[in-house]
Amino acid sequence: MYKSLFQKIITIPIIIYALVLIAMPILYVLALSFLKSDAYGGIINEITLQNYIDIFDVVYLSVFLKSFIIAGIATFLCIIIAYPFAIFVSQKKPHIQKIMMVLVIAPFLTNSLIRMYGWIILLRKEGIINTFLQNIHLTDHPLQLMYNDLGIIIGLVYTLLPFMILPVYSAVSKVDKSILEAAKDLGANKIKTFTNIMLPQTASGLFNGSLMVFIPAIGYFFIVDILGGGKLMLLGNLIKNQFLTARNWPFGAAISIVLIIITFLLVKLYKKKGGNMDELGGF
Amino acid sequence: MKKIVLLTLISILLTACNFDNSKDNVVNILNWSSYIPDVVIRDFEKETNIKVNYGTYSSNEELLAKISSAKEGTYDLIFPSDYMIELMKNRDLITTIDKSKLTNLNNINPNYLNLSYDYGNNYSLPFLAATVVIAVNTENIKDNITSYNDLLNPKYQNNIVLIDDQRIIIGMALLALGYDMNETDETKLKQAKEWLLKLKNNVKAFDSDSPKTFLISKEVDIGVLWNAEAAIAMEENSNIKTIYPNEGFALSIDNFAIPKGSKNQDNAYKFIDYILRPEVMQKIIESYPYKNVNKETDKLLDSNYLNNNAANISDKMIKNGILVKNIGSFVKDYDKVWAQIK
Repeated sequence: MYKSLFQKIITIPIIIYALVLIAMPILYVLALSFLKSDAYGGIINEITLQNYIDIFDVVYLSVFLKSFIIAGIATFLCIIIAYPFAIFVSQKKPHIQKIMMVLVIAPFLTNSLIRMYGWIILLRKEGIINTFLQNIHLTDHPLQLMYNDLGIIIGLVYTLLPFMILPVYSAVSKVDKSILEAAKDLGANKIKTFTNIMLPQTASGLFNGSLMVFIPAIGYFFIVDILGGGKLMLLGNLIKNQFLTARNWPFGAAISIVLIIITFLLVKLYKKKGGNMDELGGF
Repeated sequence: MKKIVLLTLISILLTACNFDNSKDNVVNILNWSSYIPDVVIRDFEKETNIKVNYGTYSSNEELLAKISSAKEGTYDLIFPSDYMIELMKNRDLITTIDKSKLTNLNNINPNYLNLSYDYGNNYSLPFLAATVVIAVNTENIKDNITSYNDLLNPKYQNNIVLIDDQRIIIGMALLALGYDMNETDETKLKQAKEWLLKLKNNVKAFDSDSPKTFLISKEVDIGVLWNAEAAIAMEENSNIKTIYPNEGFALSIDNFAIPKGSKNQDNAYKFIDYILRPEVMQKIIESYPYKNVNKETDKLLDSNYLNNNAANISDKMIKNGILVKNIGSFVKDYDKVWAQIK
């Protein structure tokens, strides 16, 4: 009795947190998305579906499409880098594994905006990489490494890679080593072992990581602004613009709701494919 | 026992949130980033014993978002631009200015008073003026650029930085096409979109935070940017020259304004009056070389400022400046054009 009361009390802050900081803002955004904006950026209490209809304008649909393509490429590259890395780490001694995973998380100690500015020093026309490449005569003119889509992809992959590595590593390290050995003993080659044993057993980790990379990648407007030279508009930029330049809060809210629905559907798909919800939340 | 400890902790947490600083002698200011040097704020605090809580924003719309969503009385002094004054007046977000509380009012250059957005200056007083200019690094660009249309030259591929501001940049395209900068006609906006798509091949980046850096680090040779940014770039690199295009250019006047419900109005007036002192305004202009609108300060500024044509635009030239006007719901059409060119 006493214990259950104590348990109830200590969960109160979490319930308040979830209600005040998660549920209420989303409900507010949902309500906002059905209202109208006036000429001065104010909100009129008049219910309309116009904001959702506006999203189906070709102009805005193409923003969705571009965002999904960029986020998809970033997710794919994260898988390509994270998967071999996770397998490599999982074969090390336990304490080495721990050190390596701490190193993966270490960049989070620095604000991601500042890390983006670090990339400018590396990538710009007279930056470190271009100077180096010209000094060793690999190229005679500076390469365009940033202020284009390449810069955006570099920024997204760099920032989001840990979100792919952590779930993939967690899945890979759970694979029973004896099964891999058994496969080898029974004459399966490396490719066959990978496709028949490794991949099916780590698929949920891969999907989890992809979700953790794909969804933020759609919304990271500051990477587009800093490394992409503000030349591309992703959904994050579009939403930000509705609130900060176009003074059209209800439309911005409607786009956000659509984004939340897409996220929700992806999570549903993850669950349907046998994904573990606990793994999605934390590692 | 545990329960008591826990309840005490919770009550401490709850009361801690509910702090009240209304008794303090403060003024809550919200201003553009990079507009008033810290030393001016500290000197004001020392002289008056008023604590300045200073926050910043980087666009008029961000200011609007902050003012309209914050509790009334959160801020005491803000610095909206011309069209935003009109808009905030219409949304009843700012209050009238009591000029009798200002002793340095007469220092303001009358050219900047009684403008269209607030005739009679009941709600605003000018603080600074800014114009959008073209800056060119003449070390690499030998052509004589006089018009926005010159920027379309394919030679300048990936060599231009533009400020990331839809009204200014779409306005520039409209000016280049010979239209009004505040045009709202659908077909003309479509033409502006086509013009910008052509220009985009030459654009390396859109950046509002520090476009001068692109010029100074030689990342690009041409920039369309605010005059103070161009002025600083010129000081860093004497090859950089500033051009006022033939078609005209955007002019923006930033103003003092007091949000409705301000709790520390007297302190806000003291701050405005302090800024209007010639020697204080001099410090501000020397750090951020925008166009000074204080006629007494003009007498104190040195040749570095006065001879820099980006910083100190002549009175004759500034007549070609065009104010960004409030276009109401048409802002949505601009936003659509913007989504298409990006």
